[in-house]
Amino acid sequence: MKKNIIITSLLALALLGIPFGCADRLDIKPFQSQASDVGLKTESDLVGTLIGAYDGLQDTDSYGGDIMLLSDLWANRAHLRFRGTFAGLVQIASITNTSTSSVITTDNAWARDIWANAYRTINIANLVLENLSLSVGAVRPTNTVQGEALFIRGSLYFELARLYGRNWQDGDPNQNLAVPLVLTSTPFEENKLTDANLPARATVAAVYAQAKADLTLASTLLPSSNLHYASKWAALAQLSRIALMQGDFAAALDASNQVIQSGVYTLAPAFNDLWFNFINFGGVAPKEYVFYMRMTQQDGTNGLNTYYGATISSIPGTAGRGDCDVQTAFVNLHETADVRRGYFQVTSRRLSRKHLDRFGHVPVIRLSEMYLTRAEANFRLGSTTGDTPLNDINRVRNRVGLANLAVVDLAAILLERSLELAFEGHRLHDIKRTQGVTLGSSATAPNGPAWNSPKLILPIPLREIEVNKKLVQNEGYQ
Amino acid sequence: MGQAVSVRVRGNSSISASNEPLYVVDGVPITTGSQSNFGGATNPLVDLNPNDIESMEILKDAAAGAIYGSRAANGVVLITTKKGKSGKTQVTFNYQTGYSESSRRVAFANSEQYATLLFEGAKYLDDANGIPTNDPGSDTEFLNGFFDYNSYGQWAANKTKTYEWQDVVFQKGAYNQADIQFSGGNENTKFFASGQYLKQGGIIIGNELERMTGRLNLDQKVTDWLTIGMNMNFARTYNRRLPDDNAFSNPLQSVALPPLTPNVIPVGQPGAGLPAGTPPGDLQIPIYYNPQITVDYSRFAQESFRNFSSSYATAKLLPGLIFQTEFGFDVLSQTEEGYFQSQTRRNQTRATRGLGTNRSTFIMNYNTNNYFNYTKKFGKSDLSATVGMQYQQSSTRTNFTEGLDFPSDSYQKIASAATISGGSSTETQFRFLSYFARANYKFADKYLLTLSGRIDGSSRFGANNRYGFFPAVSAGWILSEEGFLKGIEVISFLKLRGSYGIVGNSEIGNFPQLGLYTGDASYVGIGGQRPSQIGNPNLRWETNKQFDIGIDFGFFNNRLTGEIDYYNRRSEDLLLNVNLSSTTGFNSVVRNLGSLENTGFELVLNSQNTVGAFKWNTSFNIAANRGKVLNINGQIITGGLAALPNRVQEGQNIGVFYAPEYAGVDPANGDALFYKNTANPDGTIDRSTVNNANYSQAARTVVGDPNPDYVMGLTNSFSYKGIDLSVLFSAVLGNDISIYGLGQYSSANAIYEDNQTADQMARWQKPGDITRVPQARYYAGNGNQASSRFIVDGSFVRLRNVSLGYTLPKSLLNRVKLDRVRIYVTGQNLALFTSYPLWDPEVNADSFDSNIAKGNDFYTPPQPRTILFGINIGL
Repeated sequence: MKKNIIITSLLALALLGIPFGCADRLDIKPFQSQASDVGLKTESDLVGTLIGAYDGLQDTDSYGGDIMLLSDLWANRAHLRFRGTFAGLVQIASITNTSTSSVITTDNAWARDIWANAYRTINIANLVLENLSLSVGAVRPTNTVQGEALFIRGSLYFELARLYGRNWQDGDPNQNLAVPLVLTSTPFEENKLTDANLPARATVAAVYAQAKADLTLASTLLPSSNLHYASKWAALAQLSRIALMQGDFAAALDASNQVIQSGVYTLAPAFNDLWFNFINFGGVAPKEYVFYMRMTQQDGTNGLNTYYGATISSIPGTAGRGDCDVQTAFVNLHETADVRRGYFQVTSRRLSRKHLDRFGHVPVIRLSEMYLTRAEANFRLGSTTGDTPLNDINRVRNRVGLANLAVVDLAAILLERSLELAFEGHRLHDIKRTQGVTLGSSATAPNGPAWNSPKLILPIPLREIEVNKKLVQNEGYQ
Repeated sequence: MGQAVSVRVRGNSSISASNEPLYVVDGVPITTGSQSNFGGATNPLVDLNPNDIESMEILKDAAAGAIYGSRAANGVVLITTKKGKSGKTQVTFNYQTGYSESSRRVAFANSEQYATLLFEGAKYLDDANGIPTNDPGSDTEFLNGFFDYNSYGQWAANKTKTYEWQDVVFQKGAYNQADIQFSGGNENTKFFASGQYLKQGGIIIGNELERMTGRLNLDQKVTDWLTIGMNMNFARTYNRRLPDDNAFSNPLQSVALPPLTPNVIPVGQPGAGLPAGTPPGDLQIPIYYNPQITVDYSRFAQESFRNFSSSYATAKLLPGLIFQTEFGFDVLSQTEEGYFQSQTRRNQTRATRGLGTNRSTFIMNYNTNNYFNYTKKFGKSDLSATVGMQYQQSSTRTNFTEGLDFPSDSYQKIASAATISGGSSTETQFRFLSYFARANYKFADKYLLTLSGRIDGSSRFGANNRYGFFPAVSAGWILSEEGFLKGIEVISFLKLRGSYGIVGNSEIGNFPQLGLYTGDASYVGIGGQRPSQIGNPNLRWETNKQFDIGIDFGFFNNRLTGEIDYYNRRSEDLLLNVNLSSTTGFNSVVRNLGSLENTGFELVLNSQNTVGAFKWNTSFNIAANRGKVLNINGQIITGGLAALPNRVQEGQNIGVFYAPEYAGVDPANGDALFYKNTANPDGTIDRSTVNNANYSQAARTVVGDPNPDYVMGLTNSFSYKGIDLSVLFSAVLGNDISIYGLGQYSSANAIYEDNQTADQMARWQKPGDITRVPQARYYAGNGNQASSRFIVDGSFVRLRNVSLGYTLPKSLLNRVKLDRVRIYVTGQNLALFTSYPLWDPEVNADSFDSNIAKGNDFYTPPQPRTILFGINIGL
């Protein structure tokens, strides 16, 4: 009996002692994440972080589709009806001048998510830019890494300024507010967050200047060809867009002409070759894409496909909610022979065929845009840099089965632009910069809100206003 | 089925950390988090056979829970399984069969009403736009075409034909369950063994559950000072699952489909005879995806193998001193396998040539308790003391593979997929290390005192604050033992008790203390990483201070017994997911911040109304809890639907609904109105109203509270000779539910083409109409925005259970050599009394359920009404 007790006591102490002696058992490291103090230590980590920034840019909330989607849906009922049930998109699509119209509420999910994902991605780009010293150029040239991060940050600031701030020509860009400028990465420790992490809105001029500076520097750092990543020409193409928004036609001309004359990109022979990248071409992107978000079966969601596309029985590989119903009035803008006039899939709705492919890429910039930009800039400046506006327009026309025009005017150039680039995210910004008027919903109310209406600017998201008292709400949303 | 349930012991004690109680089965804290990766959350407790449970004890106050320390902040549910008894081996056999069906339907518009509403909306729009309704470009004409297209061309000919989509969705599910139990043993060896088979069909198409469990509990006296034992339980559960509620493929969402769309493709159309929308039929009909296609042309099965086992050894070291060591495992091995045929491709957009998924989850949770217990009697004093330690480690590993492009739908394993489109493996872990001590002292069988303390360490905190100390004290006074009450015959038992203690909560997910990168940010085949979390190295335990005072009583020879309790629980250093400005690149961070309080009363009464041949017992309980957020430093914390969120707000209960207040309909023009509710300069509230155009000017305010005021239960049981009857009513009063999930589409005066609940027929039609339903306006917002219009009272009284049984007389049984035969019939959820407009007020939306997001209905199916016939035989 006594012996047993001794044995049992020893056993008991041993059992108690195993975990007692191992208090550090509670100190465990995560298995599928990296702690922030070890996650960014090498060049491979740096390039991996840059890839993470591309992943953010590819998100449907950014260039994966939504940034472009809003531009075509917004106050465009006569040409494009939104027949889905996402309240946030219904609000944006139903904006008209009539009192019955929907309003965009400050909790609009698209206003919230586009903002949040852009800043999430900008934070990653900032991390890359702050840690360039890790690069020795073995994995990827240091200049390329820097240029790509600048391209991503500059592009997003440009888009944010256009969506959340007044147009460049609308009042004083040095007074009008755009979005906060965050140019340093956020600390990883809660106790290091400061008031600087609750920034106020910067002016439209300041945000444009930042975007221009980022993209200009990027255009000098990036290589001429860079797979599906940002190239020198992608940066210049973005600069041409900024210049157009600012009415700086000389800069727009210079940038677009450089992209065209680089010779890296060529117009696809047939309009249909630009689309169905996966279904018809196994994922090979056309030579016309200057910058695009690449989709694979493993990665990425084509956000334009989600709303413009639909599952068509006769075309395996198509998908989408079929929410965007193109109206007859838009079709009738096309000449009869125009290939684009027939580029629709008719179900109970009329859907653009551009975005039917479930795994199709999302084009951000195509070469034809550069021709249209060069034509417009040359026309406005009375110059013929690169080529005449007439020749540039006829290039775009010929590809869709249309005969040459004999003369062009600004209206013809802008019409061609709206037909060629329809449903690719240009419409609203083109209306704003040309100080046009959006479309109303009917014959008696042909006009929607004017180019400078506060109804064509997103609200600062309610969620952000609630956590950051320094943010001032946009007009019409107070 | 096998869905998760939320259990709240005395209100919500936390905001971001878990509010679920700790479940302990035979000493082992078990895995209770949902492991579902498809559809709604599931509850791993489903793997436990309820018939194996000997007792279930809920530890509510701090003193009772203190031995579980940090883990007890939300209460502890102690489950003890049955043990064998020495003597003749008892064999019990039980069989139940019956069915379940939907207990309630919601009235939706018929085809005529549906078309009327939409045409009214379209006419409004056409008038506003100045387009004649017969113009080809008018919305009215569009709808004419739409109705025709979506009815396979049949609407024009027959405008009254209505197809009831709820009929397609709901089914009668068969229920069959067989049990066998053996129990017995001798002086030294005791055993309990059981087996169960259950097969249950869901009340919604495509849902099915099958479970097999087996158990062996064995206790062996090895020597006069050593006893060892082992409890072993294994279970296999097969669950054919449905998509979660926020999915077009959720069968219940088909109520949104137009009532004029046939359920089955009509003769003469491609795909005739198949469910609407099935290829080769037109994929664009119905307007939304028909969930029946997913039921027919895909499968998604969750199959889990579960083993809870624990062993123990108890050694008597010295007189009064024992040492007990317990070691337990809870192993969950689960696979979820799905295959979506090409017919589902409108919904599973990548399933053009088939989509297969396979996910396995392996959770290994082990626990050891080692403690000494000493008991001693001296004079009138009884002393018992315990000291020991506990260590728990739980690791979760998952694997995932997804494949596309199968040769045909005959091949459904990913081995046949031409494209591997996704794959992943994950691992995470948590550990707890604790030391505890407790002493109970009793004097003269009248005065009771317990002191306890526990030190808990958790891997979820940084090194600085890893350990917390959680003490508790409780005292009791049995007044009925005092001389001055001894003589009073009415009082058979009277006890006063009180306790105070501190417990902790660390249920916030793993690794919140660390800033993190996550490597899931690849782009086009190149791996990438992203910052995924801001860490908080100073995080510490959320603490919960609990005070409880109560009376236990028995009157009239204990024919009337009961308990009355008052408690106050105050949670401090709340572990909060605090919203950050998104300009940081992050949405939230975990902080210790603020406090909240729960106060409540509980009353339990048990009465033997009649004794003798006819027995009638009544048991009644009522609980009232008032929660209040005291301080969260002005943070904004929300959950649930973004537009109509549940919110945490100082001075309010957790999860109150926050939206503009609906002011009804302007009788002049049918506009939906909202109260501005903004503060005037003089401090009064502006009660003027705005319509849709100025909706943003209407201030959001608290418009409802999902937490009930009272929860009640009433059981009456009767028995006479061999007949027994038991009737249980349960009631929840004073809680609000948001129906915005469905309401924004289907109770929104026909803004979209979704079918409308029948109550929308009360819409405004002409000047002077007084109604709460605004004018129908097609694709033009008119009251569809979030507001108190969609907050409704969720109070209900439910006839939860009625059970009628008959035990055959012994005289009869002796002849057939049986110990006991009882036949019975049980009905669950036979009646529901409520004003709630949708299926069932007992809601918890799959997609939005969280600590904060309670009381949201998002196409949530009703509780099943189940009728079972059973027989119980004892050999």
